[in-house]
Amino acid sequence: MSDIVLSLSKATKLYGGVPAIDGVDFDLRRGEIHALVGENGAGKSTLTKVMAGVVTLTSGAMAVDGTAVSPKTPLESRNLGIAMVFQENSLVPTMTVAQNLFLGQEKFYNRLRGIYIAAQQFLQSLNFDVTPTATVGGLGAAKKQMVEIARAVLHKAKVIIFDEPTATLTPEEKKYFFDLVRDLKKRGVSIIFISHALEEALLLADRITVLRDGRHVVTDDASKFDRTRIIQAMVGRDLSNTLYGARKDKMRPAGRRVLTVQNLKMAPMVKNNSLSVFAGQITGVFGLVGAGRTETFKIVSGVLKRDFFHGGEILLNDRPVRYRVPAPAVKAGIAYVTEDRKVEGFFETASIARNIYLGLLAKFPAGRAWLSRRESNTAGKTWIERLKVRAIGDEVKVVELSGGNQQKVVIAKSLIQDPELIIFDEPTRGVDVGAIVEIHELINRLADEGKAVVVISSYLPEIMALSDRILVSRQGKVVEEFSAIEATEEKIMYAAIH
Amino acid sequence: MIAAVREFANRILGRGDATITVPSFDGALKPNQLLERAETLLECEAPEALAVDGDSLLVSDGARLLRLAGSSATTVRTFERPISALAILPSGRVAVALGGTAVHVYDDIASKTPSSTFTGELHAVNALAAAPDGALIATDGSSQRGGADWARDLMELGETGRVFRLDPSTGTARQIAGGLNYAFGAAASGSDVIVSESWRHRLVSIAPDGTRKVLLGRLPVYPSRLSPARGGGFWLTAFTARTQLVEFVLREPAYRRRMIAEIDPDFWVVPRLSSGNSFKEPLQGAHIKTMGVMKPWAPPRSYGLVIRLGADGLPRYSLHSRADGVNHGIVAAVELGGDLVMIAKGPRRVLKLPLAVAGAEVRT
Repeated sequence: MSDIVLSLSKATKLYGGVPAIDGVDFDLRRGEIHALVGENGAGKSTLTKVMAGVVTLTSGAMAVDGTAVSPKTPLESRNLGIAMVFQENSLVPTMTVAQNLFLGQEKFYNRLRGIYIAAQQFLQSLNFDVTPTATVGGLGAAKKQMVEIARAVLHKAKVIIFDEPTATLTPEEKKYFFDLVRDLKKRGVSIIFISHALEEALLLADRITVLRDGRHVVTDDASKFDRTRIIQAMVGRDLSNTLYGARKDKMRPAGRRVLTVQNLKMAPMVKNNSLSVFAGQITGVFGLVGAGRTETFKIVSGVLKRDFFHGGEILLNDRPVRYRVPAPAVKAGIAYVTEDRKVEGFFETASIARNIYLGLLAKFPAGRAWLSRRESNTAGKTWIERLKVRAIGDEVKVVELSGGNQQKVVIAKSLIQDPELIIFDEPTRGVDVGAIVEIHELINRLADEGKAVVVISSYLPEIMALSDRILVSRQGKVVEEFSAIEATEEKIMYAAIH
Repeated sequence: MIAAVREFANRILGRGDATITVPSFDGALKPNQLLERAETLLECEAPEALAVDGDSLLVSDGARLLRLAGSSATTVRTFERPISALAILPSGRVAVALGGTAVHVYDDIASKTPSSTFTGELHAVNALAAAPDGALIATDGSSQRGGADWARDLMELGETGRVFRLDPSTGTARQIAGGLNYAFGAAASGSDVIVSESWRHRLVSIAPDGTRKVLLGRLPVYPSRLSPARGGGFWLTAFTARTQLVEFVLREPAYRRRMIAEIDPDFWVVPRLSSGNSFKEPLQGAHIKTMGVMKPWAPPRSYGLVIRLGADGLPRYSLHSRADGVNHGIVAAVELGGDLVMIAKGPRRVLKLPLAVAGAEVRT
């Protein structure tokens, strides 16, 4: 039997005549972990979607175990032993975890209790703390990801493709995930691992392939790579110092207090939480999944409601506010850039210009009786240029953009409202290295302009590189505060888990 | 009617005025224990006010006025009543508030008789500050209660604080603001006067025409005296911190009435300048000690805090003595050379802290 389980040669996929991947050669060895890295728009997702049968090649060939194949549906790929855990969620939110796990394997008569027991045992074997009877829609991003991973493992695939699998996981969960991947490898399963976390790729992978602009750049053993070499291969320029390497040696002074949260409660996630956010500073909020960071700021921005009785107090510019829906918060100058852009961030089938224009419309106090196409086009063009959104035009649908460019559209949609307080929730999750730098520059610029900026992130280097002050959240409330200068990764993590 | 219904609903739901919340100590107010590292210059019976006279320091200790050189104190003079406030004018004249009801201005510290005396409406003068035009600004905490009875004024939600402008050259006194929730501390800022309104936890800027603007609101503490800082801005002292328990009691009039009537004032549920003196003292609902060690983050009955304000009135950094410290009840702070000299009224100490050390530590 050949050592190569899956291969593509001269693989090309055109979208409207524009190549997403162009003549890519790729091979995957049996029982290896193969990291696929590259900027957003480099072609990683397209390449793996070809393997998973989501899209078909325009030209080129694909082979599984030496046999030429051309899967046209995910089911055909699954039958070939290829499973993919997508970056975007592919679970059915109204079904339970167990039902999602066994979706497509239903029998004529399903004994629900049996499914739950089987799911429970399976999830426990993976060391995943997910309740099989829970409805998927009610799960957090990390747990949804766990269900996705569990489903791929359950299908006994010989090739599993993970697209940004660790983006939503806490450090502990990542450790479990890495152990799981290594365990799969021991069983002879080949893993393709797409990640923007280069440390993870270096730590986990046997080989690394770098793509750039839809073309294959290099494939080599992981031991022959380091961060700098990967980054240079990805973008062709040295970004390591401007990305996560650079630590702040000075901080911006605090301006006036823009936001005050006092004893905020939203059972069971937010417990008596108090914090302040100041103008002209970036306030970083770090915490593990379940620390109540996102929920606190969703309450601030009217997405969630605090407890009905004794829910605490939120003050915007020293005035008590209580938003039941996001619209009045937007009008008051609060922008929340969501962590889950695909679900909450944009209308995927609408154009870039339309999405950005919708952000502007949300700002008007009583809506608009008419819509101006010219205004929409101008807004689109202005913000595409300002945020360097890479698209062939402002009428391109957002769904057709890469993750980094989609995130820029979400940010533009908020910034067009000229907010006073901007809350970025995981602003660079699933975003390529080049876009990360641009988004970080943008966030810094906003603080320099005097805006109050909040950055919620699970990624410590990002928090440390951006924040002037760092709030550490644990079990529903802020438990520690560090200035940018005194903070170390150890101190922050210690506060977050102890 | 609507207001009554709303108030009733708020009490049930814990909203509006019935939201019993306290702002957190964060940002520039992030806690530290720097006040605990301050050197004790002097321990005395009843320190109350500070003033800088050239290179030396004047400290009031009950009715005595002391001059402090290094850590040795000499009595300059003794007055007939306790000194409640002290100021030195740019002209070198010395202003002394006695018993809260009179302000005497002396041409110099050795003068036997005052050049001007202000009495009349004054009831509880607790701070004096020099205005740029040579006049004095005096804060009168309450027109109902004496200076020593401030806790009762708080429990009665006193709002009879006033600010006076006293002109030693003409001997006239003019009220420039009234109806304040305990005025305690003032400083001139250009033509405006900045006043601490303790029970409303804020600093108010009062313009010459009487218009008021909140300069710094919703403090987690009860602010008190202000003094100018080198390089612009001010030092603001806070004699104790707010707690949810006291905030709750302040919203329960029947409870307060009975407490005032039936309980020894030493054991009221009120903020105090020092704590831990008796097991009868009310705790704050948290377990103060764990494994025999005082938890610094426990809700404190007394607290020590000095805030460095910028010229814009915004906090830059702060010096703290937390629940497990002793240098609580800071009521006065002045700059002297490269040090900050403070009065911790709780332990009855005059403290000194090098500014270079404090500033450098809290900024990192």
